[in-house]
Amino acid sequence: MLTTHPHLRTRRPSPTTVEYTVSTSPSPTLPLRLLQLTTSILRIIIGLTVLLLLYTKYLLSAFAPATHPIGPPETFSTATIFYILTLITHSRLGTLCTRLASITPYTLLLPTSFLLIHIILQRPHTTESLLVLRGLGIQTSTSSASYLSSATTRFIPTEKVQDFLVNEAFRGFEVRYYLVVVVEGEKEVVVVFPRLLPRRKMVETVWRGVRGCLWEKGEVGKG
Amino acid sequence: MAHPRSFSKTSMAANHNHNYRHRRGSTRTMPYSIAMVSDFFFPAPGGVESHIYQLSTKLIDRGHKVIVITHAYDGRTGVRYLTNGLKVYHVPFFVIYRASTFPTVFSFFPIFRNIILREEIEIVHGHASLSSFCHEAILHARTMGKRTVFTDHSLFGFADAGSILTNKLLKFTLSDVDHVICVSHTCKENTVLRASLDPLMVSVIPNAVVAENFRPLHHPSYGTEFGNHPLPQLIGPHDTITIVVISRLFYNKGTDLLVAAIPRILASHPNVRFIIAGSGPKAIDLEQMLERNVLQDRVEMLGPVRHEEVRDVMVRGHIYLHPSLTEAFGTVIVEAASCGLYVVCTQVGGIPEVLPAHMTVFAKPEEDDLVAATGRAIAALRANKVRTEKFHDQVKMMYSWTDVAKRTERVYDGISGSLSEADFYGYEAADAASWSATRGRAGVHSFALIDRLKRYYGCGIWAGKLFCLCVVIDYLIFMFLEFWAPRDAIDIARNWPKKPRENLMAGDDSSYK
Repeated sequence: MLTTHPHLRTRRPSPTTVEYTVSTSPSPTLPLRLLQLTTSILRIIIGLTVLLLLYTKYLLSAFAPATHPIGPPETFSTATIFYILTLITHSRLGTLCTRLASITPYTLLLPTSFLLIHIILQRPHTTESLLVLRGLGIQTSTSSASYLSSATTRFIPTEKVQDFLVNEAFRGFEVRYYLVVVVEGEKEVVVVFPRLLPRRKMVETVWRGVRGCLWEKGEVGKG
Repeated sequence: MAHPRSFSKTSMAANHNHNYRHRRGSTRTMPYSIAMVSDFFFPAPGGVESHIYQLSTKLIDRGHKVIVITHAYDGRTGVRYLTNGLKVYHVPFFVIYRASTFPTVFSFFPIFRNIILREEIEIVHGHASLSSFCHEAILHARTMGKRTVFTDHSLFGFADAGSILTNKLLKFTLSDVDHVICVSHTCKENTVLRASLDPLMVSVIPNAVVAENFRPLHHPSYGTEFGNHPLPQLIGPHDTITIVVISRLFYNKGTDLLVAAIPRILASHPNVRFIIAGSGPKAIDLEQMLERNVLQDRVEMLGPVRHEEVRDVMVRGHIYLHPSLTEAFGTVIVEAASCGLYVVCTQVGGIPEVLPAHMTVFAKPEEDDLVAATGRAIAALRANKVRTEKFHDQVKMMYSWTDVAKRTERVYDGISGSLSEADFYGYEAADAASWSATRGRAGVHSFALIDRLKRYYGCGIWAGKLFCLCVVIDYLIFMFLEFWAPRDAIDIARNWPKKPRENLMAGDDSSYK
C-alpha cells in the first residue's frame, strides 16, 4: 500500500540533461497522503513511548539522581527539562510506564526498544536516481534506508566514464540484469540503481537514454 | 564384436538418414532452445568440454539457441559469452573433486529454474555421467516439464564400490530421461546395462574432430610456406620411424603396458624413436624404465602439452601408439589419423568402431601382442604399403561436427514429437505392445507425476522408494518456487542476434530448409 513495484520517472529539463528516477513510492493521492500522515504520527507516538519507557527504567535503576526539583524553576534552563520530565513520569501514562518498566527485565526491554526504534526510523520507500549531464558527467544517487542518514551520491565526470552498459549476474537464487558504469582507473564497476535493481525493460530504457544523452547519437562507437 | 565395425555410418541415427532427408520438407523443425548442462566446461581442458563447445557451436550455426550451464571456475564466474554468441552460465558452486561439484540434490533447483525460465529453454541436454550438475539438472528439468537428453562419454565397470554407486545414480537419473546419446556402440551397450535402459531410446552419435586443426605436415589442400607436397613420403628400410604416444599417464590409459613394451620394441627395431607427451602419476614409472635400460637418447619425454600443441607433436611421428585399457571413443586416435599417422591401438571399448581397418593395427591389451602389432605396423610402413597421406581426407569425410549436430538435432526432433515414432525409433517399434505403459504419444515420456513415480519405483526395492521420495520433494520444491519466485517476475533474456539464414547454409547440403 505504501510502496509499489519500482517504477521509472524521467525528467528532461534541457536537451542535454536527463534524470532517471526509479522509486517504489506510489503517486501521491489524497487518501495516500492521509495514510502517510497517519503512519508518521504513529511512528512519533511509538518512538516517544519507547523513549519514556527507557527513561522510567533509568529512573528505577541505581544510577538515577536521588533528588528532584520541587517547584517550577525559571523558564528555559536545563532544570525546566528535568521538571517537565518529572511531571510526565508522575502523570498517569508515566506511572503506567514505570509499572511496566519495573516488571520488564533489561534483557527484554533493551533489545525490544532498539528494534522498535530501528523499525520506525526506516524509510518506507527507496528512491534511486541517475542524472546525466552531457559534457559534465553522471551522478548516481541512492536514498538511504533510514531517516538518520542522507542519500549517498556519486559523481563521475565524463572523461572518467569508460563505458555504460547492461550486464547480467547471479544474485541470490536468480540472474539479474543491471546497469554499470565502467570508470577509468578503477577495478570495480559502479552499479546504477544498486538497491532496487529494476527489471530489464526499465534497464534498457535507461541504457538507451543515457547513451543517447552522454554520447551524441551516431557517434556511439563502443559496445 | 569380432570384426571392427566400420565407424560412423553404421550407427543407428545414421540408418534413418535416408528417409529423414526426404521427410524434411514436410516436418519442418522449429529452432530449439537447448541448455547444455555439465560440470565439465572450459576453461578446464578435456574431451567432454570440447565436445560440448563444438556441438553447441554447430547447433547455433543451424539456427538453434544454445546456452551452457556449468559451475564457476577460478576467475570465471557469472554470465559469459563465447564466440558465436554461446552464452555460458558459470553458477557459483562448491567444487569437491576434479572439477565435480558436491551433489546437493535440491540446492541447484532455484537458480536452475530461473535460468531455464529466463532463457525459455525447451530441451535440457546433460553431459558426462560423473557430473552431479548434469544429473540434478535432468531431474529438475523433468519436474519442470522439459524434454531431456543425456550424453554419456565414458565406460564404467560394474564391480567396484564406486561404480556401483555411480551406476545407481545413473539409473536414478536415466529412469526418466527422454533420450540418451552414447559416443560409441560399446558405450551404448555399457550404458544400457548400467542404467537398465530400453536400447531403443539410446542413440549412438560419435565424437568428431576439427580436421583443419589436425592436418599433416604437407598436404595439398593447405598451402605451406615450402610449397605443396602431393607425393607420398617414401620410407626407406633404414630411415628412422618415430612412434608418438600422447596420453595422460594413468593406469587406465595403459601406461604400464607402455613401460613393458617400449624396451622390447626398441630392442628389436634399431631405427625407431619414441616421443611421449603427457603427464600423470605413472610418469615416474616411465622415467625409471628409461634409466634402467639407458634409452634416454631414443625416447623423448615432452611432459604435458596443451591441446593446441598436440598436432605439432603428432606430425613429428609416423606411428601413433595408443595402449589404453578402457576407452569409450578415443578421439585422440582420430586426431592422430587425421595428422596422417598410422595407428596402433589396443582393441578395447569403443576403439574398434572408430577408425577403418586400413588405418589401424589392433593389438590385444597385453605386452606380447602390443609388441607384435607395433612390429607389424613398422614393417608395413617400411614396405610403403600404407597410404598415410590419404588418411586426412578420409577422416575429414568421416568425422565432422556439423554431422554430429545434424544427428543430435534429429534426436531433439524425435523427443519433441516433431518426428513420428515410426521414423524415430524404427518401424518395428511402432506397435504399441512393445512399449511400456508410461510412454505416451510418439514414444515421448509423459510428464505426469504419477507416471514419473512409476518409472522411478522400478529402480530397486529400497532405491525405488528413496528415488520416489526425492522426486516428490523435488516436485514440492517446484510448487514452492512457483509461489516464492513467480514466473512473471523473471525477466526473459534477450537472444543473441542471429545471422541471416542464407549465409549460413551456403556450405551446407540441401537437407535443411
